[in-house]
Amino acid sequence: MIDVNGLCKDYTIKKKGAGLSGALKALVTKNTDVIHAVRDLSFHIDEGEIVGFIGPNGAGKSTTIKMMSGILTPTKGSVLINGEDITKNRKEVVKNIGVVFGQRSQLNWDLRLGETFELLRHIYRIDLKDYENTMSVMDDILGIKELLDKPVRQMSLGQRVKGDLVASMLHSPKVLFLDEPTIGLDVSAKYSLRKFIKEINSVRKTTVILTTHDLGDIQELCDRLIIINHGVMMEDGNLKEITDRIAPYKTLVVEYYDEDAPEHEKCEMISHEGNVARYRFAKSDITAADIIASLSSKKAIKDVSIEEAGIDDIIKIAYGK
Amino acid sequence: MKKYLFIVKTQIIKSLTYEFNVYGNILMQTIIMITSAYFWRALYSGQGVVGDVTAESMQTYIIISSALSVLLITGVEQRIGRSVERGTVATDMTKPVSLFGMFFAEDIGSIIALIFQNMVPILLIGSIMIKVPVMADIRDLPLFVISVVESFLINWLIAALFGMMAFSTINNNALIQVKKHLIRLLSGSIIPIWFFPEGVAKVLSSLPFIYIYQLPLSIYIGRGTRAEHLAQMCIQFLWLVILSALFLFVHNRVTRKVMVQGG
Repeated sequence: MIDVNGLCKDYTIKKKGAGLSGALKALVTKNTDVIHAVRDLSFHIDEGEIVGFIGPNGAGKSTTIKMMSGILTPTKGSVLINGEDITKNRKEVVKNIGVVFGQRSQLNWDLRLGETFELLRHIYRIDLKDYENTMSVMDDILGIKELLDKPVRQMSLGQRVKGDLVASMLHSPKVLFLDEPTIGLDVSAKYSLRKFIKEINSVRKTTVILTTHDLGDIQELCDRLIIINHGVMMEDGNLKEITDRIAPYKTLVVEYYDEDAPEHEKCEMISHEGNVARYRFAKSDITAADIIASLSSKKAIKDVSIEEAGIDDIIKIAYGK
Repeated sequence: MKKYLFIVKTQIIKSLTYEFNVYGNILMQTIIMITSAYFWRALYSGQGVVGDVTAESMQTYIIISSALSVLLITGVEQRIGRSVERGTVATDMTKPVSLFGMFFAEDIGSIIALIFQNMVPILLIGSIMIKVPVMADIRDLPLFVISVVESFLINWLIAALFGMMAFSTINNNALIQVKKHLIRLLSGSIIPIWFFPEGVAKVLSSLPFIYIYQLPLSIYIGRGTRAEHLAQMCIQFLWLVILSALFLFVHNRVTRKVMVQGG
């Protein structure tokens, strides 16, 4: 479906000193810096996958998405969508893709939402029957029909994102790119957005590629994560695999009746506050049941709970590498 | 083709949303038109003919020049500048249309709206307050229309070429202003170049600008013979070809260098 081979993107930026003197100097001298935003990314995405691109700010996620959707031309490497190179044949290949940027809208500020959709219907040459089909599906998921007569400039962010999602799906693309789609949305808007992504993925087999900083998005949506930092791929796999690989431990939280907490040779006590002690242990070494059994033989236990390595831990570890 | 026609239609709807802009533009054009009309009246003061043109014809020249300036409003430079600055060029590029095809269609749409919103009122105001601008020889009408179409295209291509700079230099506002005033000054839209010193006039007639305003206006007021007009239209056409070639050449290079700002 999508093949990315040795993708690189360099930016040349003008070096500017600080302050007024720096700005003036930059007018006459030509000091440039090359920034390697994306370095040698290669991966393959199959039809119907939901892939999450994650990484800290400035990691190169958006640049990668922009190259994959034909907006930026790669410095090196190629992106093939259905076997076709997007930089060589942009006008044709983009018919198969939809793009939503959470931070900028493709809707037309001066028009009503329905008028923007009509324009897109003509641009993509969608026939009226397909268009109405899609609209009724979208109405079921997002309740879009009540917004059609509203001018885009009067919409709330949540409504606008809904509009953008529908706009990107009108031509039933095979691949949908979402760049931080949930940014700034409230809980219920996030919920309907996630429902929308799951729905189009299962019903229409749309391949979805999204970048996000929202842990909920990752947990609920992504079959597969690609973690990028400094333009380099750090991890690629599903959440469980990555967790097992980089954070193969759990934390056992034990509450005793007093402040005295015993140690255990196979796990590390990572904190001890009041009556509560936390033990971290490797999943492959020992089971939680064994630790509880051996601890309770030493001291009476009031309560226990087990914490998996959370997704934020994983991300922290992966970003830190 | 159909999709571009629809872009034209949508742009007309869009242009009709902002009524206030329209009144502002009418007011500005009216002021320019009336001051230049009085200016020429004062300059002619008693002299019947200057530079082969009567005072009466000069008034017509001014009114038609104002009306023509509506047709020669282009949005493409600001459109590119704005979309690069705000990063919305990204969403433009994910559509299966040619970028400049879309910009062209948008400009056509705006102009169709402006013909009704601006050109007709300006012609009416001019007719009432100055004189009715009748054409010198109605048989020249086809020639006039063709030369206006060509001048529109030349003007648009120059604007598009300036707009393309925004793809790499990001902020092109200053350049757009320079271009706008250069065209106004050098195209004969306010002062026909036959009033310029001979040397300057010679230089100007080898540049594309006078073929934007002065040529169609000369045809309209009947300055010069038909043979002269046809010869000048050949030069106009030549400029159209040169600018189109330049446009295509730069266009292919520039879209690979698109910068997307932010996020």
